[in-house]
Amino acid sequence: MSPLWATSMIFFSLLLGSHGRPLYPLPSKQQHKEKKALQTSRPYNIAHRGSNGEIPEETAAAYMRAIEEGADFIESDILATKDGQLICFHDVTLDATTDIAKHAKFANRKRTYEVEGSNMTGYFVVDFTLAELKSLGVKQRFSFRDQQYNGKFSIITFEEFIAIALDANRIVGIYPEIKDPVFINQRVKWANGKKFEDKFVETLQKYGYGGAYMSTEWLKQPVFIQSFAPTSLVYISNLTDSPKIFLIDDFDIRTQDTNQSFWEISSDSYLEYIANFVIGIGPWKDTIVPTKNNYLTTPTDLVDRAHAHNLQVHTYTFRNENSYLHFDFHQDPYAEYDYWINTIGVDGLFTDFTGSVHQYQEWAQASATNEASALGLLHKLALMISSFEGEE
Amino acid sequence: MNPFWATCLILSSLLEGTRGRVLYPLPSKEHKHKQPLQTSRPYNIAHRGSNGEIPEETTDAYKRAIEEGADFIETDILATKDGELICFHDVTLDDTTDIANHTEFSDRKRTYQVQGFNVTGFFVGKVRQRYPFRDQQYNGKFSIITFEEYIAIALDANRVVGIYPEIKNPVFINQHVKWPNGERFEDKFIELLQKYGYGGAYMSAKWLKKPVFIQSFAPTSLIYISNKMDSPKILLIDDFSMATQDTNQSYWEITSDSYFEYIREYVVGIGPWKDTIVPPLNNYLTAPSDLVYRAHAHNLQVHPYTYRNENSFLHFDFRQDPYEEYEYWIKTIGVDGLFTDFTGSLHRYQKCASGILR
Repeated sequence: MSPLWATSMIFFSLLLGSHGRPLYPLPSKQQHKEKKALQTSRPYNIAHRGSNGEIPEETAAAYMRAIEEGADFIESDILATKDGQLICFHDVTLDATTDIAKHAKFANRKRTYEVEGSNMTGYFVVDFTLAELKSLGVKQRFSFRDQQYNGKFSIITFEEFIAIALDANRIVGIYPEIKDPVFINQRVKWANGKKFEDKFVETLQKYGYGGAYMSTEWLKQPVFIQSFAPTSLVYISNLTDSPKIFLIDDFDIRTQDTNQSFWEISSDSYLEYIANFVIGIGPWKDTIVPTKNNYLTTPTDLVDRAHAHNLQVHTYTFRNENSYLHFDFHQDPYAEYDYWINTIGVDGLFTDFTGSVHQYQEWAQASATNEASALGLLHKLALMISSFEGEE
Repeated sequence: MNPFWATCLILSSLLEGTRGRVLYPLPSKEHKHKQPLQTSRPYNIAHRGSNGEIPEETTDAYKRAIEEGADFIETDILATKDGELICFHDVTLDDTTDIANHTEFSDRKRTYQVQGFNVTGFFVGKVRQRYPFRDQQYNGKFSIITFEEYIAIALDANRVVGIYPEIKNPVFINQHVKWPNGERFEDKFIELLQKYGYGGAYMSAKWLKKPVFIQSFAPTSLIYISNKMDSPKILLIDDFSMATQDTNQSYWEITSDSYFEYIREYVVGIGPWKDTIVPPLNNYLTAPSDLVYRAHAHNLQVHPYTYRNENSFLHFDFRQDPYEEYEYWIKTIGVDGLFTDFTGSLHRYQKCASGILR
């Protein structure tokens, strides 16, 4: 073939290549113009780390199961890798929920660091690149839960988590946490003087998250940003108007950044202050209603005071296993939901068992509407008649 | 006072005493129209009362179960040394009483402990919660109750509550406890039921007023009483490896079609162990057997045991949610009754699933 022909051939094929074929929208995405909206009429069902009651936490499968089961929000903890990638992972160490111990080539990465005031030994996520973390298998944290998926799933990135939510065929909110920001910012550095919180918000904005709570923009892509570190939330309030939730730990734990006690950060004056930056708080259940001998004692006024400051209350964590249920609920997780939703009046529930919360809420809603409906009326009539049937 | 007058006075006061005052019915018993037994959905059978919360087979456990909506309160009937019928599950006292604390009885330890005690001995001991992971706060507060006391609890409820007593370990009891006039354990059992007006075939008007199911693992006991009482009976079926105590028949024999055809002359249903209907593997359900289907084909009801809320008893298919388990057994398998330790939860499920939360 002559060089001219060859050159022309190559040139033309390149042109064709750059034209490319026309890009059509994926057929599977065509019908979802009107996605079913987020429900906002009852407390939020927040799938804590995905459906980790069934599937290892914070994996794609756990989140997809949660969406299947009716979660309003899928929740995640965001940490950072050695190379500054944001991942979904709860612990700063890999020991409890991965098969790191099986990977001989990483054996020399074990370290001891101070995390939030105390020393911790293990394999820290901040000492591994994303590629290295992706080579690990995730496992179920609790031995009494299903072990069959151990090692089958990988750690996912913040972006993959967002994609799962956006890919659902109904509107599913995300609920990411700025996790251990003090520790992360000490160990991981980003270019241009950026901090963990900056990268976090950037990722959200890249995918179009934004808008104040209940705005049209927000309702299309709902999000709550949560953290135990108040300064992180205050810092990002300049960067994004997305609603933020201030997490509160147990009575004896102090904030990692400002070293404040439970009593300080739950006081009226603090709530008044923080209400400028967050729309709600996320306390640990047992601080709202302290327990004794596995029985509930008198509820505190925390929820009332939060509500008085127009702060929502999303409490953690609801689990089905009887070892987590106080005797008042006689080992019935639905009795626990009933108490927290109807007696205490919380606005959201972090749960490991999103399917159970969903089922409970659906039934409760159905019965409320049925009272007024024909079915309810028929049932009442039947009861009236049957009360005479026993008479002989 | 002269003797004649005294006598008259005494006589007339006696007369007054014998006439007595007019007996009015107790105001609290005026509720003639008790809410009847529900018969439109599977029976909620409070297995040993609400023993998820309160020590099993005590007055409080049964009252709690009634409060929580049980259709039937269930019990195991055993006999004491002196022939009294009591509500107690184990033949030994070790697991559910504080017998170990009673030094006066420490010499009674035998291969067969229950028979070593007469009524007084029993009531000295107090009942405790069998499982350590359940509420221990009532340990030592309640006593063992008699069959009669149990019946009284049911009859005293302000709605119609059925009873579901078991002729428990009859072979063993009849070996160790003797009654006069050659009567057997089964005879005394029936006598007590009849004394309190129980009787009538399943779903008869008489039965609906005082519902009862008589259950036993021993087929000959059920056949024996079928001559004396037309109350509905349920044949209990144990695990695959257990043979019947009286006829030494295997699981496979007593669940065969020919056996069903035979036994249905005497019982209205069977009570199998859940895991024989749908055998599990690695804590997951495998394919259901055809036991329920065949039982139903022989017009036999199926009341499996036992439903418990604790996750250690829940197969992984149910994601640690007892309501998922109820849903499966009621909607997918289609059983006719459920023995549960958590009658309140089952009641809540049944109400919710029918769309009315009350």
